[in-house]
Amino acid sequence: MSDLSQIKSSRPIPPKKFITPRRLCFLVAAITIALLPLIFPSSYWRTNLIVCAINVLLAIGLDFVLGYAGQLNIGQSAFYGIGAYASTLLIMKLAVPFWVAFALGVLISGIAGTLLSLFAVRLRGHYLAIASLGFAVITYQILLNWISLTQGPLGIYAIRPPPPISLPWLPPIVFTNLTNLFYLIAGFALLVYFIIDQLVRSPIGETLTAIREDELSAASLGIDAPKWKAFAFAVSSAVAGAAGCFYASFVGTLVPDAFFITESFSMLAMVIVGGMGTLIGPVFGAILLTILPELLRGIGDLRLIVYGAAVTLVVLFIPGGLVQAIRVVARHVLPAGAKFEARS
Amino acid sequence: MFSVILQQGINGIVLGSLYVLVALGLTLIYGILVQINFAHADIVTLGAFVAYFVAQTLTGNYVVGIAVALIMGGALGWLINAAVFAPLRRHGSELLPLIATIGVSIMLQNAMLLLFGPIPYAFNTPYSSKVIHIGPLFFTLQNLFIILVSTTTIVLLYAFMKFTFLGKALRAVSQDRETAALMGINPNFLIMLTFIIASALAGMSGALLGPVLVLTPFAGTSVIVKAFAIVIIGGFGNIEGTIIAGLIVGLIESYTTQFLDPGLIDIAVFALLLVMLAIRPTGLIAEKHAENV
Repeated sequence: MSDLSQIKSSRPIPPKKFITPRRLCFLVAAITIALLPLIFPSSYWRTNLIVCAINVLLAIGLDFVLGYAGQLNIGQSAFYGIGAYASTLLIMKLAVPFWVAFALGVLISGIAGTLLSLFAVRLRGHYLAIASLGFAVITYQILLNWISLTQGPLGIYAIRPPPPISLPWLPPIVFTNLTNLFYLIAGFALLVYFIIDQLVRSPIGETLTAIREDELSAASLGIDAPKWKAFAFAVSSAVAGAAGCFYASFVGTLVPDAFFITESFSMLAMVIVGGMGTLIGPVFGAILLTILPELLRGIGDLRLIVYGAAVTLVVLFIPGGLVQAIRVVARHVLPAGAKFEARS
Repeated sequence: MFSVILQQGINGIVLGSLYVLVALGLTLIYGILVQINFAHADIVTLGAFVAYFVAQTLTGNYVVGIAVALIMGGALGWLINAAVFAPLRRHGSELLPLIATIGVSIMLQNAMLLLFGPIPYAFNTPYSSKVIHIGPLFFTLQNLFIILVSTTTIVLLYAFMKFTFLGKALRAVSQDRETAALMGINPNFLIMLTFIIASALAGMSGALLGPVLVLTPFAGTSVIVKAFAIVIIGGFGNIEGTIIAGLIVGLIESYTTQFLDPGLIDIAVFALLLVMLAIRPTGLIAEKHAENV
């Protein structure tokens, strides 16, 4: 009988209760975000917190197309760069207000992602991987060589942080303050997490998973795979575009090297180390791989060697990433009968 | 004008034949394993550094440098196969070995950065200063040497694949691993052999590319990115297609540098790649692995 209770319906009946475990988790996440800057008062760690938030955004965006739709996209840095440059250029050259530029940057990245999905319609596996890599190389080279627009390797300087938000009866919230900027980006990341979480647990998520597992069978069920691939690419690249826009306003300078193909690789590493095909995994993968090189600063130049070794060893020994590791540990540590499910 | 076109044609073919050597390694590995080895680039870079130190400081003999780079490449390829690809094979994933070798690549690049520093090395061979003039055209002895070595290597490799028993066994394994195993061919041995050959080629092409490249620990990345494009344009796993595509990319590079702008090289190469993928995704010479397209 107890076995029956463990069979998980793929589409649970909407809960009637107001407090559900999932909502509780989001509450815990929100409280954690609120507390983090208070735990780390130094501006060095607050800067790292913001980098973490941006990387979390990038990782969950990539995981949506890679882990859920199963599209081998290794050129995500292109959309990150397009979002950053599009929004910044709109602000600096056309004096577009920040949030309008933000929305347009996200939109332009999403459109670029849809363009790449045109290739994904015909290509699979490594062919798509190299096509997306090519897309990222071309984007990087355009950013580098279109000097009249992007100033090429000289970069764009003095990008302003998001404008203050003024609420009634409160002092205006300024984003020159690292804590406020962290709240803004992390809050946005939580919102994106919530939306993607809703998406992957909806019939859309099942549609994408069906395409990932077997495109032919999916087509035989009447699923329009090209349309849904385009959707997955669009969502994923739009999220990367949003991350790029925040990155520009946070760092204040843009150079093409920030969007070189190696940036795609580090996003991939975050998704894989965390646990591809789950949403919570890439969050922790992103945090771990952002913090790890910082913690290793003590060993100087060796730190990136250790970083590379860590990525390789995780893939070799725990290919399911942190999520798999936690599941295994939980199975051994938790008392028999206790049920542990990673929230995916 | 005509002589400029001819001159850049020669330069393009020299460069292209080196790209062919790098890309052939990738395509051999892809053919037999359907996996991408991202650390291939760093074997090229390491080959260049090894040749530099052996030729410039240890022995003073460039040919010895090339030989040592070749052996080092083969050894590293064996190690990468044994440490990364062999353990991951049972997962049957397309992505895991790719990520694992990205990790290996980060390790190798930063180890080289630690050892050799970020400042580009000036790699001069005894052949690079000797210039041969034929009418309005000129090329260095190094260029002649590169064409000679790479053509010989490519011909030998081609003959090995077509006519020897091992070569036939290799092709059999890449066509159908199970059936080949039933015929008494040991796929694990042949996969190892492929890695050694492919990586030895990478090490050697690094030694030959060293004097051409801006030799830093990250030099391999720009080469490998073009090699990926070549492999796809030629058709993954296809030797003839890879050779043609490699020469085309070399020519694109030299003509773009001459008539347009060196910054546009990668854009031109990858624009060709994307056009190829859009109109003829099986590559120049269609063969197998049609399940990917």
